Amino acid sequence: MSLRLVGRSVLPVLGAGIFLWPAAPAQAGPQHFEKHFTVKGKPVVVIQNIGNGRIEVKSWRNPEVVLTGTQASDKISIESEQAGDRIGVSSNLIDSSAQPTEMEADFQLTVPEETELQLKTQTGLIFVEQVMGDMTLESVAGDVHLKEVSGYIIVTTKSGSLVCTQCAGKLNFSSISGSAQLLQPALSNVNLFTTSGNILFDGDFVRTGLYTMKSGKGVVEVRFSTSDSFDLNAQTSTGTVDNQAADFLKPDSHGLKHLASKYTRGFFGTIGQGLAKVELSSYSGTIRILKRD
Amino acid sequence: MRCNDVVGAIELEGLSPLPETAREHLAGCTACQSFVADLNSIVSAAHELPAEVEPPARIWISLRAQLVAEGLIHEGTRAIAPAPRGHWWEGFSGLLQGRALATAAVGLLIFAGGVVQLRNSAPVTPSEPAAKVQVQEPDALAASGTALTNQEHELRAAQPAGTLASSPVDDSLQKDLQTLDAFIAECEHHLKANPHDQLAREYLAGAYQQKAELLAEMMDRGRSVN
Repeated sequence: MSLRLVGRSVLPVLGAGIFLWPAAPAQAGPQHFEKHFTVKGKPVVVIQNIGNGRIEVKSWRNPEVVLTGTQASDKISIESEQAGDRIGVSSNLIDSSAQPTEMEADFQLTVPEETELQLKTQTGLIFVEQVMGDMTLESVAGDVHLKEVSGYIIVTTKSGSLVCTQCAGKLNFSSISGSAQLLQPALSNVNLFTTSGNILFDGDFVRTGLYTMKSGKGVVEVRFSTSDSFDLNAQTSTGTVDNQAADFLKPDSHGLKHLASKYTRGFFGTIGQGLAKVELSSYSGTIRILKRD
Repeated sequence: MRCNDVVGAIELEGLSPLPETAREHLAGCTACQSFVADLNSIVSAAHELPAEVEPPARIWISLRAQLVAEGLIHEGTRAIAPAPRGHWWEGFSGLLQGRALATAAVGLLIFAGGVVQLRNSAPVTPSEPAAKVQVQEPDALAASGTALTNQEHELRAAQPAGTLASSPVDDSLQKDLQTLDAFIAECEHHLKANPHDQLAREYLAGAYQQKAELLAEMMDRGRSVN
């Protein structure tokens, strides 16, 4: 058999094999996707992930939103749309027999620094870094980590926890068993509520800021510095109050008469001039007030 | 009859026919005329809405718990809690059917809450002891708890035990439900001994709210995923 004959018979087969080869495994295994959206102003990005998976958002200075990620199987589809500066991305169930592991989809998003976000997933981390804009983040069991973000931030989980580092603006957190940690915050309005999780606020209180932190059964811990200025109200029904800052607390001097309930224990007091307002409560957990070193 | 009395009469009897004394007051009061006109507009608009599936009781419980938690209404008021027979609010809520109308329902309930609060903030006459309202409070909260328990039973009936915990998310939701149930039981037990502990009441209302949302999430997952 001549070399020319071998070429005529083998090459078409090899060619077909090479053509079909990448398609076959893509049907069953993880699939990568990437999409680019050019935007003009401040975009609004909405991601609805019906399954599990991680959503990671970072920013850059380009007027473009880039979405990359992987989907675990072809039993879900990733669909997206753009209408002006609004971008919507969703994962949809194609095969109802899909197992939870086959419904996973991870998203990586690169957005302009000023972007509004609405993200929802079931489990898996939601991570947002250096984004300025209002954001609504929802997860069932996944944690939410925010770093250097600002805006009106709403975080809702069932059991996922929140870690917010150097966040600014307003924060509203609600969870059943998730905890919340606010580290070095520059937040002017904070509303935290968890039924059984813990709450930690470690940072400065913005003057004129309003802070409400409530945990049904967990520990509510606040670490303040002596340069802070806030009125403090700490109350618990059946829990305990661990006040390690009694030496720094003065009676409230703003004219409000605080009447202690006979059903709760706690205290009122002022640090500095009392410019911010801090309300801490726990039904049966522990409220701890500490001064930072 | 004063404005508050007209509101009370409408709340109890509905818009038509209004009692004679209320009609007399209405004839000379532009504020009440405007109020009744608004209500008529809302009722007319609601009648024109297409009928959909009736929203589950958890929506109303959730709304009520939220309104109580925010102090917009007080427990024991009849404006929100359904009366056993033919209360006009009950019929009105029946008009608001379907998830698409939930937003409208929120607005109306907040409006109703405002009206109720106005009524409650009116000076109390010696013949209306303040304790009267307080005595009703535990019952209203208990009613919310009972309704949620019924919802939970319906959920379990719809999803047999073997299918409830089919994924890590479902497992997580089940654990959260247990957490909430334990916390609710703790608060309810405490409130039996200390019915006037306002902080405990707030936490209980918050837990009811969370349970209503959790059950909704579980039911939605049952429909869309499992």
